[in-house]
Amino acid sequence: MTAITETAAKTVLICEDDANLRTLVRLALGEEGYCFYEAPDGPSGLALARRTRPDLIVLDLMLPGRSGLDVLQELRTSTDLAETPVIVISAWSHSDDAAVEAGADRFVAKPFDPDELRDAAVALLEDDRAQA
Amino acid sequence: MLKRDTLPRSLSARLVAGSAVLALLVVAAFGVLVYAVTTLDDATKRERHAKAVTAETLQLERLVLDLDTGLRGFVLSGKQDLLAPWTSARAALPGQKRAFLRLASTTADERRRARTLVTSIDQYVADYAVPVVDIARTSPAATRQQIVSLEGASQLKTVRGHFADFLSRESALAAARTSAAQRRSNEAIAAAVAGLIASALLIVGFGLYLSRSIARPAQAVAQGAARLAGGDLTTRLVPQGVGEIEELTRAFNEMAERLEASRRELEEQNERLRESERAKSDLVSIVAHELRTPLASVLGFTSVLLQREVTEEQRREYLGIIEAQAHRLAALVNDFLDVQHLEEGRLSIAQELVDVGSVVREQTELFAGQSPKHLLDVSLPPTPLPVRGDSNRLAQVVANLLSNAIKYSPGGGVVRVAGKQADHVVRVSIQDEGVGIPPELQRDIFGKFVRGHATANGIEGSGLGLAISRSLVEAHGGRIDFKSTTGRGSTFWFELPSASPD
Repeated sequence: MTAITETAAKTVLICEDDANLRTLVRLALGEEGYCFYEAPDGPSGLALARRTRPDLIVLDLMLPGRSGLDVLQELRTSTDLAETPVIVISAWSHSDDAAVEAGADRFVAKPFDPDELRDAAVALLEDDRAQA
Repeated sequence: MLKRDTLPRSLSARLVAGSAVLALLVVAAFGVLVYAVTTLDDATKRERHAKAVTAETLQLERLVLDLDTGLRGFVLSGKQDLLAPWTSARAALPGQKRAFLRLASTTADERRRARTLVTSIDQYVADYAVPVVDIARTSPAATRQQIVSLEGASQLKTVRGHFADFLSRESALAAARTSAAQRRSNEAIAAAVAGLIASALLIVGFGLYLSRSIARPAQAVAQGAARLAGGDLTTRLVPQGVGEIEELTRAFNEMAERLEASRRELEEQNERLRESERAKSDLVSIVAHELRTPLASVLGFTSVLLQREVTEEQRREYLGIIEAQAHRLAALVNDFLDVQHLEEGRLSIAQELVDVGSVVREQTELFAGQSPKHLLDVSLPPTPLPVRGDSNRLAQVVANLLSNAIKYSPGGGVVRVAGKQADHVVRVSIQDEGVGIPPELQRDIFGKFVRGHATANGIEGSGLGLAISRSLVEAHGGRIDFKSTTGRGSTFWFELPSASPD
């Protein structure tokens, strides 16, 4: 949960309970020079998002404490995080509709191809830059 | 009035009895009618007879008058030819008397009066008429005297008096007989008509009875059957009618009862099936989810290794992750199969004599080498702990509990393993100094896929270990339970019936 401070670097919050998958997400996005925050459950993910205001959130749905959908709805109703792009990753492959309805920008089913995740993240962050 | 309990119970017996009574009544009414007709016929015959008797009597009287006329003519005139009526009457008289006597003989009284009449005629002929004619033939003058004529008039008067008497008696007798016959006939006709009316009323009553006791209940049964066929299995009939019909309604109700019960049973069975289908579909969904997580690591790290430049150190690390996750997948698949077999009751459990003490000892030795942070403290009696069962499955239970004790005390510490035997029960307990189980999760801890906050703490597992352990212990006729305090650790124990040491 330590941020690598780099002024130009984009920040990504990985909210995922499986430690190996957090590593994998980091590896998938690593070559883009992002800076990562990691949270293993819903409440700490939400707290970390509020505190660090990341540029992108990668969110698992099956989270201890508070479910990913819960976290997502909370983000979307908040004032400062309503626009933050969110990629939902889940092993519940049929929950893509629910995730998009709750405000997810992308849905990536587990198991996922690291390149697919990277492409989704890059696209969202470039959109973000274009808007800014 | 018949008492109700003297009536035959069976409907067919009642119908037969009722028909018989009606038939007897109708036959009796017709018998009376036939009697009336016969009586009338008889009266007609008697009347005809009476008329014949009267005719014969009048004929006889005419002959007597002819005798007298001939006699008077001859005596007064002395002319032989005036005696002709006398001669012919005398010739016809015996035959006419016989005919009269033959007819007038229906009763003793009539016969007696007929004889009296005939006797008076004979007297008149013998005592007066014949002597007078003989005298007149010999000395016609003598018979012309007044006295002879007077004597004759008196004699004839007596005879005619008898005639009148006989005729009036005969006519009175005939009238009496006719009116008696008429009366009897009228009475018989009245009785017959009354009998027929009563029969008709009884037939109507019998019809009503048939309708009430057969047709109406049969209709009710038919309507009930239609409702039943329409699917309303709560249909019941009010028991009515007698004998067989009442039995029919009772049997109908029984049938409806059975149908309803079997439908209820089917619905319950259906509900159970639906529930088990739901559970199965839930399980499939959970299994897919549980398999995807390790699969995501295996595929993801393989892809990283294949597509990215990695250091030798990273390569080893990722391969280690892939291997561990592949093992996790294999263990998950085994657990799922075990759960399914246990739920279907298909898991075969050997029935051999097992020393639980050595099972515990072997498993503890296996785990001791895996975690340097934990101290395994084993306390077992020197004697065996015999139970009847499957040593591999019991080893699985002990391994599950040991693995949990180590996994859920990530900070290390002492794991106390104890086995003992008391009161025909072998008891094994495994105590850790780990994170414990939050109170809100304790109730469901033996359920499937219940893992507490394990995932948040990076503790791996299928969430099936305790569910499988409980099923296995129960399959051995034992029980399993625990005590836990959050932050202080948990103690899991199981008990099995000890085997007799033979």
